[in-house]
Amino acid sequence: MMGVVEGGWGFVAAAYVVTAAVLGAYATTVFLRYRTEKDRAAAKAERETGA
Amino acid sequence: MKEPSQSRAPQAAVALGVGLLLAGSYWGLAKAPGEIFMGDVQRIMYVHVPTAWNAMLALTFAFVCALSFLFTNAWKWDNRLEAAMEIGVVLSLLLCMQGAIWAKPTWGVWWDWDPRLTTTAVMVFAFGGILALRAFVDDPVKRAVWSAVACIVAFADVPIVYFSVKWWNSLHQAQSTPQTVSKAFHWPLRINAFGILFLWTGLVALRARVAALRLRNEVAPPLPERAPDTAGAPALGGAR
Amino acid sequence: MRSLLVALRKDLLLQWRSRTQIVAIFAFGAAALLLFSFAIGPDSLALRQHAAGFLWLGLLLASTLSLAESFEREMEEQALEGLLLLPASARALYYGKAIANWAQLALLGAALVPVTVVLYDAGTLRLVSLLGVILLGTAGLSAPGTLYAAMTAQIRGRQTLLPLLLFPLVVPVLLAAVKATSLLILGDPMGQLRPWATLLAAFAVIHWALGGLLFSRVVED
Repeated sequence: MMGVVEGGWGFVAAAYVVTAAVLGAYATTVFLRYRTEKDRAAAKAERETGA
Repeated sequence: MKEPSQSRAPQAAVALGVGLLLAGSYWGLAKAPGEIFMGDVQRIMYVHVPTAWNAMLALTFAFVCALSFLFTNAWKWDNRLEAAMEIGVVLSLLLCMQGAIWAKPTWGVWWDWDPRLTTTAVMVFAFGGILALRAFVDDPVKRAVWSAVACIVAFADVPIVYFSVKWWNSLHQAQSTPQTVSKAFHWPLRINAFGILFLWTGLVALRARVAALRLRNEVAPPLPERAPDTAGAPALGGAR
Repeated sequence: MRSLLVALRKDLLLQWRSRTQIVAIFAFGAAALLLFSFAIGPDSLALRQHAAGFLWLGLLLASTLSLAESFEREMEEQALEGLLLLPASARALYYGKAIANWAQLALLGAALVPVTVVLYDAGTLRLVSLLGVILLGTAGLSAPGTLYAAMTAQIRGRQTLLPLLLFPLVVPVLLAAVKATSLLILGDPMGQLRPWATLLAAFAVIHWALGGLLFSRVVED
């Protein structure tokens, strides 16, 4: 490596933002899917005990 | 099949992971000094290296789940396999993106064919393909067995891919991407590594529950603990 | 061992009976090579330099057709289940099929060489070595290819899934085979051919072993 890399902060910020965005988005999908499946299971259980 | 656990431990793990990541990133960004040659771009390493460790860990866990399923035929290992492969692909994809963001200011190109990153890119396609396979197989038993088989083959391929790419690239590139970090910077790295570790283990636990719940909808009750053991065939190989 | 020979004979017979299809696959491969040259342009130097890459890409693309087709007969009228009821073990079936596929792919590769020579001005005098590389490379394609063809033959979306699953896996084969072929075409002053050939051989050994171990799980019912 020759010399110093200048003005890297834009890339640093990009890296951290991308990391947060990807992990955050994926975590959100997991939580949402979990909630959907739990509700669906609860609704099904209710139908079965009710009927 | 047992009721999927209702414990809140996974959510706690995720919260802990996020907290650690915030702390480690703050330390790396605000407190740790800039590196001599690469200036502030080096700070990308505080998320890049932990992501690399965890991506490999997640895919290794997926491999363990695949083996476990083939030997036990227990559904829980298929659920975990699905979850582990998914997070493994996400982390690997993230790794490639971070790698590109690092490479541009450092090497002037978005991709420098670094063997580790190139292998990761191949793995994204390999394991992503297995996730696609799962979407096309309707029979849950076949889906589980085939994903496990494909996962084992793909994982066994990782060292071969790495070695061949490293060799292929060494003929062109004199230096490899330096990803070593000097001692002063260990703490942010470690904190972030544990942060991502807690984050993905928590997410895998939750995602496995999602898979378990979906499976119950698919298979007529009662859902057996284990997938039907076909003709008593042993886990690997064996004559029929 | 005997069941292996029986299975192999069955598969080679099937291939012989559908030889028009093999010719069509060859035509597809040759067409692909032609398209590559259009994509690069009439730059003889560039074409010759990358000829090895084009050959193996063309062969790889053609292999998806060949491998998929190898299981079509079994899928018709559920012949696969019938075969598995026979005393022949799944492992023998796998190796029989894999060897037959290997032969077909090697034949395709060899047939595409003259096309490469003509289109890219990329010939070599070291024909035996070239054949060796083709044999080693296609062995690496055949083992995982047969395993995944057996899987995807049983489901919808098979045309997309077979290449999707296979291509990432065979990256080492592509790298090593192209490198080795390139050395043969363009010259190998430092004698680098052997290590690449060794890599191809190692890949083949590992995947032929793995495939044999795992195949029974793929076709069980």
